[in-house]
Amino acid sequence: MSAQLVIDTSTSRTSVGLISDNKIIWSEHEDGATAHAEAVPRLVKKALAQENNISQVIVGMGPGPYTGLRAGISFAQAFAWARKIELRGVCSLDAIVCTSPEYVAATDARRKEIYWASYKDGRRVDGPHVNLPAEVEGKLFVGEGAHKYGLADVATYPDVSVFAALPPVDQPMYLRRPDAVPTSER
Amino acid sequence: MSEPLVLGIETSCDETAIGIVQGRTLLANEIASSVQEHARFGGVVPEIASRAHLEAMIPALDRALASAKVSLKDIDAIAVTAGPGLVGALLVGTSTATALALALDKPIYGVNHLAAHISVDYLTHSESIDPTIALLVSGGHSSILQIDDITSSINSLGSTMDDAAGEAFDKIARVMGLGFPGGPAVDGEAKSGDRGAINFPRGLTQAEDWRTRPYDFSFSGLKTAVARYLESTPQYKRADVAASFQEAIVDVLLQKSLAACKATGIESLVIAGGVAANSRLRQLAEQRCADAGIRLRIPSPILCTDNGAMVAALGSLMSSAGRAPSAIDVSATSSLAVTSVSV
Repeated sequence: MSAQLVIDTSTSRTSVGLISDNKIIWSEHEDGATAHAEAVPRLVKKALAQENNISQVIVGMGPGPYTGLRAGISFAQAFAWARKIELRGVCSLDAIVCTSPEYVAATDARRKEIYWASYKDGRRVDGPHVNLPAEVEGKLFVGEGAHKYGLADVATYPDVSVFAALPPVDQPMYLRRPDAVPTSER
Repeated sequence: MSEPLVLGIETSCDETAIGIVQGRTLLANEIASSVQEHARFGGVVPEIASRAHLEAMIPALDRALASAKVSLKDIDAIAVTAGPGLVGALLVGTSTATALALALDKPIYGVNHLAAHISVDYLTHSESIDPTIALLVSGGHSSILQIDDITSSINSLGSTMDDAAGEAFDKIARVMGLGFPGGPAVDGEAKSGDRGAINFPRGLTQAEDWRTRPYDFSFSGLKTAVARYLESTPQYKRADVAASFQEAIVDVLLQKSLAACKATGIESLVIAGGVAANSRLRQLAEQRCADAGIRLRIPSPILCTDNGAMVAALGSLMSSAGRAPSAIDVSATSSLAVTSVSV
């Protein structure tokens, strides 16, 4: 037996799961916006105790607050490299589950903004982008960012059980450039 | 049994560095620097450094294994810089290290960047150097340390009250238009200058200072003095200013280090950190230590600036000394005290 190891650190929740034959066989999460780097190895250690034979690593490439996001991606790429297995990135927003045919998934981008993408009939049709909540059009919002700004009643998070079915993404989704002003422009 | 093969990861600032050592033998020292991406900002931009670490990490690991001619499965332990440094940058290193430790089922040592700078000297000198006085000078730190055991006991005798020595080099290079990073720029410019041309102040060297804070440094007064000199002397000679400024820093660093050796009775001095690559510091240290009968050790310049070999070296020393590894959820601490050798 083998399993795919799923890691997402794009929100304040660090989630790790094991998928085997398209079924989630184990998952756990820890909450805390500044604890991703410690939570990932703790959770992966538990996962490996369940199934040590890992066939692929699937990681959420964001968008998400940079430092936490990179903790997950750094871990995932190094684990895949060390085990000589495939690394697959996905867009974390794609994993926020909603039963309605049309919705906007939004996570917290800090600075009063949200990372968001809109979906129709199971496909991403716009995004990901980063904007102020008031700038985003949509009737139904889901996700931690939507909840934070009063657009959704509950906070929902990327669901590790759907990661194996998502389209691939090959780069971290930062969406913003680093804040820095060249000395020549000061 | 052969000596442990340790892979070290360093990402505390703008260098993504991997070192591999076996016991005290250096097998690989791969460094990918993002310094050029920071140059137009006049200093290291943390987010740019962190993004660069993520991109450079796997290629650096591949190069390190290739140049060490070892296979990953032969690695006995992973060592990683856990601090001090830029937290976003450190976390790329610790996340990589914890992943390797779990994937390979090997122990992990989260170590102090500053202790690692000093321990890299153990790769070039086979005999034990404990106890020793260490002068640690870099872009972020300037300290005089007493080292009784590099794997467990480091005491700080004094440190800078304001700028680090390397920071002073960067700032002076900027006002003189010499570019970034400032250390090599000032060092190069100073080569053709007269180091006695201008008598810049030596901070904290008054009689009262020697009584109350003999091993502390202050470079902000020197920085101001240089800035004033440049303002009031439009026709200044750049090489003379660089040489005189450099002499003022190097002179104080060595005066205080040798005073620490004398006061503690420890006849050994290790100079480490990025500023230890400065040619004048190396030259004057040799001269003054020879005169004072102090045994001097300075790592080769490539091992003075941030590198992975130093992290692997400290991991190897910890492993050989039987020190307990870190927990798997090793955390990065941006302000990790120099007295904490490991986390």
